[in-house]
Amino acid sequence: MNCSFCQREFNEEQVKDACRGCPSGGGCHLVKCPYCGYESPREPGLVKKVRALFKKIGREKKHE
Amino acid sequence: MNKNTFLKLIGALNAGESGIEPKADAPLILLVGNPNVGKSALFNKLTGQYVTVSNYPGTTVEVSHGHCQALDRTSEIVDTPGMYSLLPITDEERVASDILFSPRVRVVAHVVDAKNLDRMLGLTLQLIETGRPVVLVLNMMDEARTLGIKIDHVKLSKRLGIPVIPTVSITGEGINDLIAQLKTPPPLSMIRTECGSIIEQGIIAIAKLIAPTSSISPRTRATLLLQSDLREQERLVKEIGEKTAATILDIVASTRAKLNHSPHYYITLSLRAHTGQILEDCVSLPSRAPTRIRNFLNRLCTHPLTGYPLVFIVLYFGLYQFVGLFGAGTLVNFLEDNVFRTHLIPWVIRLVDALHPWTPLRDLLVGDYGVLTLGLRYAIAIIFPIVGTFFLFFATLEDSGYLPRLAMLVDRGFKRIGLNGRAVIPMVLGFGCDTMATLVTRTLETTRERIICTILLALAIPCSAQLGVIIGLLSGQGAALAIWAFVVTAVMLLTGWLAAKLLPGEQPMFYMELPPLRLPTIGNVLIKTYSRMVWYFKEILPMFIIASVLIWIGQITGLFQLLIKNITPIVRTLGLPDQSAVAFLFGFFRRDYGAAGLYDLQKTGLMTAHQLTVAAITLTLFLPCIAQFLVMQKERGTKVTLWISFGVLVTAFTVGYLTHLVLTWMHF
Repeated sequence: MNCSFCQREFNEEQVKDACRGCPSGGGCHLVKCPYCGYESPREPGLVKKVRALFKKIGREKKHE
Repeated sequence: MNKNTFLKLIGALNAGESGIEPKADAPLILLVGNPNVGKSALFNKLTGQYVTVSNYPGTTVEVSHGHCQALDRTSEIVDTPGMYSLLPITDEERVASDILFSPRVRVVAHVVDAKNLDRMLGLTLQLIETGRPVVLVLNMMDEARTLGIKIDHVKLSKRLGIPVIPTVSITGEGINDLIAQLKTPPPLSMIRTECGSIIEQGIIAIAKLIAPTSSISPRTRATLLLQSDLREQERLVKEIGEKTAATILDIVASTRAKLNHSPHYYITLSLRAHTGQILEDCVSLPSRAPTRIRNFLNRLCTHPLTGYPLVFIVLYFGLYQFVGLFGAGTLVNFLEDNVFRTHLIPWVIRLVDALHPWTPLRDLLVGDYGVLTLGLRYAIAIIFPIVGTFFLFFATLEDSGYLPRLAMLVDRGFKRIGLNGRAVIPMVLGFGCDTMATLVTRTLETTRERIICTILLALAIPCSAQLGVIIGLLSGQGAALAIWAFVVTAVMLLTGWLAAKLLPGEQPMFYMELPPLRLPTIGNVLIKTYSRMVWYFKEILPMFIIASVLIWIGQITGLFQLLIKNITPIVRTLGLPDQSAVAFLFGFFRRDYGAAGLYDLQKTGLMTAHQLTVAAITLTLFLPCIAQFLVMQKERGTKVTLWISFGVLVTAFTVGYLTHLVLTWMHF
C-alpha cells in the first residue's frame, strides 16, 4: 500500500512495526505509515474483494 | 527452507559481526532499490527458476536469492527488500542495509525507475560512497520513453563514474548488457557528495578512527553515525570497543551542536543538490504542457503569496460550498425531513407502540433521547452526509498530493506557535477525529511539540461532523460564519503562541521530499472515502447508542436533569437559551453528538444569529470528548491532561462570553 501523505510504499508488517506501543492496540482499524506517521483507515473487506476480482479478470485477459 | 539452511547459504551475511563463519562464501550480487521499481521482475529475469525465498534471520522480512546461469554459478544474486536511503527506518530497510554491509558483496546493482530518476539518484550517490562497485540499472525505460523522458546514459555513466545500463525488466530489454556488466566488477567511482564544511570535518574526524575495520567505506559509516543511526552505533561498539566508540560519539555530538539543523537535513539537501547538478545535462524532460502546469501548480501551492489564498479557495469550495452547503445543508435536510422525520421515525414509533412495551423501555427506544429516534437519527441523518462529503473532499486533497505542500506552506507560520510543518499531519487528521489525531502527535519530534499540538487539538480543531454542522448552521449568515472562523483561528494562534512562549525547548526542523502533484483518480478517491466512512461508522455508531443509553439511565436516575440544571446558568450567562445546555452535555460524550444537538436546536427556531455564533464558538472550543480525554491522559499523563482540560474549559466559556458581550455591543 502507499501512504496517502508521503506516497511511499509499505506493507502490513511495517505497519505493525510503526504501531508498536500504541495504547489502542490495533483496535483503531487505521494503518500508520512508518515513514511519516500519517494514518489512513484499513481497506474494508469489500474493497479487497473487488480488487482481487479485478486482478483475477486482468490475469485471465492476459492469459487469453 | 528452514532458518539454519538459510544461515548457511545466505543468512550469515554479517559473519564478521555475528561470529558465524559462512560455509558458503559465494560472492553476492545485490539488487538494491526503492520498492516498486521492477527489482523483483529483474531478479526473476536474471535467475529464472533458480530461486529461494526465505525470511531474513530474526525478522519476518523475506529475501529472495538465486543463481544466474549466464553468470558465474558460484555467485549468488540477492533481491534485497526495498529501501529509500542508507539510513534505515523500517525493518525492510534495516535488512537491506545489513545485507549491504556483508563483506561478501561483490557488486551492487542499484535498480531505479527511469521515470523518477531525480528522486532515486540520491541513493546511487550514497551507494557509490560505500566503496562498493555499483552498477546503475535504469529500469522501466519503455515507460520513460513513452513519457518523452530522454536519458543520456553514456553521459550519466561518465558523470557518476559507474556503468549505467538501461533495461526493461518485463520484456528483458538490456538484460544481456546487465549480465555482461555483472560478470566483472566495475571499477570504483571516486565521486563524493560534499555536505558542507562542518559535516565534512566531522566525517573526516570520525573516519580516521574507524578506517581499517570494515568492508564499508569509513565515509559512509561516519555519515550514518552523524545521522544517529543506532544500528551503526551498535556495529561500532562491537568492532572498536566502547572507549573509542565514545570518542566517536563525542565528535558526533560536537558536530551536531555546531549545526542549526540535524545533519540528516544537510546531507539530504546536499544529495538533492548533487543529483540536480548531475541530471541537468544528462536528462531532458518533455517540454509538454502537463509538466509545465504541474510545476506551475507546485509553485502556486508552496509560495506564501499564492499558497495562502489557494488554501482559502480550497476551504471555500471544499468545506463551505461542498461540505457545509451541500452536505450539511441539502443532504442533511433531505435525510432529516423527508426520510427520518416524515417516514422512518413515525413508522418506528408506531411499531414500538404496537408492542405496548414497558414505558422506560419505550423511552429508551423511541423517547426524546431514544436509541432509534436520537442515536441512530444523529448518526445516519446528520453525521453520515456531513462526514461523507467531508471525507470525499479530504480524499481528493490526499490523492492530489496537496497535503505535503500544505505542510511546507504552513511550516514558517507554525514555527511561531511552537510547531512546524510536520504538525500538519495530526492537525489535518484532527478534522477527521481528534482522538486519533491526539495519538498521532507522538510522531512529532519533541515533547514540547506534542503538548502544544495536543492543546490545539483539544481546543480549536473541530472534528469533521462538528465542522460540517457548524458551517451548515452558519452558512445562511455570512457574518456569523466569518466571526466564528476569525475567533476560533485567533484563539488557536494565540494559544499556540502563548504555549510556545511558556514551554521551553528547541525548535525542530521540518523537511520532506515532496511527492509529485497528480490529478486525483475517481477510483482512489472513492475507495479512500468509503474506507474512511466504514471506519468512522464503526467508531461512532456504538458510541452514539451508548450515549443514548447513558442519557436514558441519566433520565431515570435524575442525573441527566441535575447536570442540565448545573449547566443552564452557564449557558444563560452566554446569552443562550436554556435548551442549549443539552447540546453542551452531548458534546462531552462526543463532539459530533454535541454538534448534532446544536443542529436540532437550531431547527426548532429557538436561536438568533447572535446566539448561534456564540454557541458555535463555545462548542468548538469546548472540552474534548470522553474518548479524547482518555487518550490525552494515556499520552500526556493525568496532570497535563487535567491542566489542558481545565484551560480548555475556561477558554471556551471566557471566549464565548466575550464574544457575546462584543456582539451585544455591536447589536449583532
